[in-house]
Amino acid sequence: MMQAAEKAPKPVKQLDHRYEGISKVTGKIKYAGEFSEPFAKSDLLYAYLVQSTIPSGDIVSIDRAAADNSAGVVTILTPFNAPKLSQAPPQPPARRNLSLLQDTSVSYNGQPIAVVVARSLDEAKSAAALLKVKYAPKPAKIGLKNRLAEARWPKDPGKEPAGNHRGDAQAGFSKATVIIENTYITPIQHHNPMEPHGTIAWWDGPKLNVYDSTQYITGVRQSLAKTLNIPVDFVHVVDPVVGGGFGSKGSMWSHVPLCAMAARITGKPVKLILEREQMFGPVGGRPSTVNKIKLGASADGKLLAMQQDVVMNASVMEDFVEHAEGPTKNLYMSSANSVSAKIVEANLGVSTFMRAPGEAPGTAVLEIAMDELAEKLNMDPVQLRLVNYAETDPSHDRPWTSKNLKDCYQQAADRFGWSKRNATPRSMSDGNAWIGYGMATATYPANRSAAMAIVRLLPGGRMFVGSGTQDLGTGTYTIMAQQAAAGLGIDPTLVEVKLGDSTLPKAPVSGGSQSSASVLPAIQDATSQLKLKLADLAIADAASPLHGLKTLDIDAKDGKLFNRNNPTQSDTLTDLIARNGNKPVEATGSAEPAESKDAMSSQSWGAVFAEVAVDKDTHMVKVRRIVATYDIGTLLNQKTGHNQLMGGIVWGISFALHEEAHIDSVYGRVVNESLAEYHVPVNADIGTIDVSTLNIPDLKFNPIGSRGIGEIGITGTAAAVANAIYNATGKRIREYPITPDKIMLA
Amino acid sequence: MHSDVTQFDLAAPPSLQAVLKQLAAEPGKHAPIAGGTEMMVALGAGRLQQRSLLSIQHLRELRFIRVEDRLLHIGSGTTFTDIRRSAEIAKHLPLLVQSASWTGSVANQNRGTIGGNICNASPAADTPPALLAYGATVTLVSASGERTMRYVDFHLGYKKTALRPDELLHSIHVPLVFGDHRQYIRKVGTRNAQAISKIALAAVAKVEEQRLADVRLGAASLTDRPVRCSATEAVLSGASLASDALEETIRLARAALAGETHAIDDIRSTARYRGAVAGNLLEEFLRSLAG
Repeated sequence: MMQAAEKAPKPVKQLDHRYEGISKVTGKIKYAGEFSEPFAKSDLLYAYLVQSTIPSGDIVSIDRAAADNSAGVVTILTPFNAPKLSQAPPQPPARRNLSLLQDTSVSYNGQPIAVVVARSLDEAKSAAALLKVKYAPKPAKIGLKNRLAEARWPKDPGKEPAGNHRGDAQAGFSKATVIIENTYITPIQHHNPMEPHGTIAWWDGPKLNVYDSTQYITGVRQSLAKTLNIPVDFVHVVDPVVGGGFGSKGSMWSHVPLCAMAARITGKPVKLILEREQMFGPVGGRPSTVNKIKLGASADGKLLAMQQDVVMNASVMEDFVEHAEGPTKNLYMSSANSVSAKIVEANLGVSTFMRAPGEAPGTAVLEIAMDELAEKLNMDPVQLRLVNYAETDPSHDRPWTSKNLKDCYQQAADRFGWSKRNATPRSMSDGNAWIGYGMATATYPANRSAAMAIVRLLPGGRMFVGSGTQDLGTGTYTIMAQQAAAGLGIDPTLVEVKLGDSTLPKAPVSGGSQSSASVLPAIQDATSQLKLKLADLAIADAASPLHGLKTLDIDAKDGKLFNRNNPTQSDTLTDLIARNGNKPVEATGSAEPAESKDAMSSQSWGAVFAEVAVDKDTHMVKVRRIVATYDIGTLLNQKTGHNQLMGGIVWGISFALHEEAHIDSVYGRVVNESLAEYHVPVNADIGTIDVSTLNIPDLKFNPIGSRGIGEIGITGTAAAVANAIYNATGKRIREYPITPDKIMLA
Repeated sequence: MHSDVTQFDLAAPPSLQAVLKQLAAEPGKHAPIAGGTEMMVALGAGRLQQRSLLSIQHLRELRFIRVEDRLLHIGSGTTFTDIRRSAEIAKHLPLLVQSASWTGSVANQNRGTIGGNICNASPAADTPPALLAYGATVTLVSASGERTMRYVDFHLGYKKTALRPDELLHSIHVPLVFGDHRQYIRKVGTRNAQAISKIALAAVAKVEEQRLADVRLGAASLTDRPVRCSATEAVLSGASLASDALEETIRLARAALAGETHAIDDIRSTARYRGAVAGNLLEEFLRSLAG
């Protein structure tokens, strides 16, 4: 039988362009908020989300008289008239604790408290401004650094336990020759994909249809059904392209069911798009983490104990744990580890996954501590990491499916010119700037989940592949086309791809870097099934040159089925399907992690090197170069893969230098809730980024050999920049972002 | 809260005279709008008081760059892009070109005008430090006539200017006397482009036999308005750049600058940083003159 899990897969032919690229740049492909069919466009109503202006308390009343009389207003939903729902508990990632106007309580400044629906967006916004909301405020919990004593264990820490000990850390520290102990802080960050969250909803009798910008169409479908108490089969979710999500679109947030409620009440299609400033609160964010890190090593650099105690803010509405302690458990081989993660409640919106949750802040802080340890040991930072190289997974005491991190250190260091580094701060300068080199390790777990796919051979030898997955701009379309084409040995340009529709076979959330690792094996299985069907079709077809052969003897290549024992004996796919009355031949496939998955750990790795220039007068930082090499298994597509790694690196630079949500200490609102003041890098902030991958397949992880690539780029980068700034200036900044002010005052 | 654009009126009177007539007839009722790069933000945020906008973007009378009588005249409707492309300005007023180049994004520069930049009166605005250092004068027009004043007197306080509700800024004039001056400008932002300045300093000075003459300093984000640092200028006037006197000159200048500026803490920076870096920039300028 032709089996999916071939041991050494043939290289898959890569598309040299993004599958949906032309339709994106010509504006043909539609994002969720752009659809104006199948309903009549003139029927479309616009909803505007009204947000609370206090951080804690109750809504006493909403005087809506002026708003009701405002031009174009169709309806206004408030806690005093919204339909009652049976609100189920959160179920991350799909469903979070939502604000659906079911009661009058206010838990954070910016919480949705009403929805105004009008004939135009301008009219909806204008009417929203006329609502007079009367509150009974309550004392609010705001701030983290000044409230660390309030830290408590999380109620539900998620996949990982909130506290974990391995070996005897105290004994390790007592034996250590060198100890580093400091506090490292990362700020609150907010997701800002180019495309904000947005939904269009309309009802067809009892059935609900939504276009929704989401990383998880299946999750939205299930969550809407649960929230609105309708059968799952009655919900249809469509989202052909996502303009970035970075984790915030992994969950359904309040605006989605609110939009559906508005559509049901008005009997019309309703569009609700979040404005940029509404992205700062109601759709999640990365919590701030305060990390006490202690490292103890012997004189030769061997880690004897590592300890990290994290305290972070969490919304009073729902615990979410940013596992920043993760890398301390498994990045290096230490004799002992002790970690904890606790939360301090705050009147803020619910926190959620943001690109490389856990590892992004985790590597940002641990890898500074490692740099400090290397300096104290008078050891090269790369050497320190090699001395403590974890050949197996220390956190689970089991082997890795594949790990080639040493090659990453070596290759990236060589390309960077690390040997030219002078470890003494302020020893390198260029004009009016100090020059610094820094490095750090990148890492992110490799995840995969059960997924399904459907493939069809179409007339003319073309193919169709579909899966209910998502493309966040990451290249899912492109690699699906490649994988389907590889299954029948045809050119990937002959494949039509469909995704982002909940009527397609199910696939997991596009989060945790798992889409390619989950969906491609399902496509591989589906094409294997298809090949079997086509072989059987040929065998049974008296007109086929392959008539009468055994299924096992038939394989596919270059648009043909052929006899493995006599490759000249072949039948083109075009002829075969033409003789079949040009009736498409269809097969479905599925794949899930092997039962033995718990016997091994799967993780991706990388080495990141940074060169910075720090102006002597202003302390402004310019990241001149990033050189990084990653071990992510098979690189599926050069263009989309490198694009993701580079995007992650840019965000890592942003983490290091720019991003931070400032919370008003009285009102609890994000002060800088716009892209003018919530800074991400501009082109002028980014120098050259030189990325490479080892491209060594990890076949113990999945039959494609590829681990996800979406998140690892952000990891390690921030610390590499921070360490380079130290090397340049001699100033060790342990609180991100590293602004010129902090460097000057250090 | 947001504004409803349907609640605003926008008119585009055919001439400058027509605009001035309307401003005079109903002072304070109308808000003139050119590129709109500030006004539309204010409108979007619900901060715009006036409900009637008068477009002046199309008025050719306000969009010019010309040299006359040893003065460079710039119409208030001149865009940042116009300034960046002008050979005359590049030749005579390089600091203005530089500051125009780091104003917002290219899209902002295509729409935004120098008049808007000045009248918006942000203490962090990009072009005022250069104009202050160059000793610009401004002409204000109204239906009842025109008046010309020193630009340094135009800014009265935080977002407060000498412009009356019936007036428009017509043009800016800079004397072309800087051929022998050394010129310096630097902006410090929270990122390398598209950032509002944490601090900016523009400086011109002559050096005659190792002594400073005609020093002019303009700064952004150091007080509640764009500011000319006259106390520091006074300290530097005639000061020596000779190697045995340079350190003392720098020390005195830094002290004078610290004494006459009052930086604030905000989300973009701290007062300490602003104060220290302002001194660093001034020192960088002085050392470049001595070197």
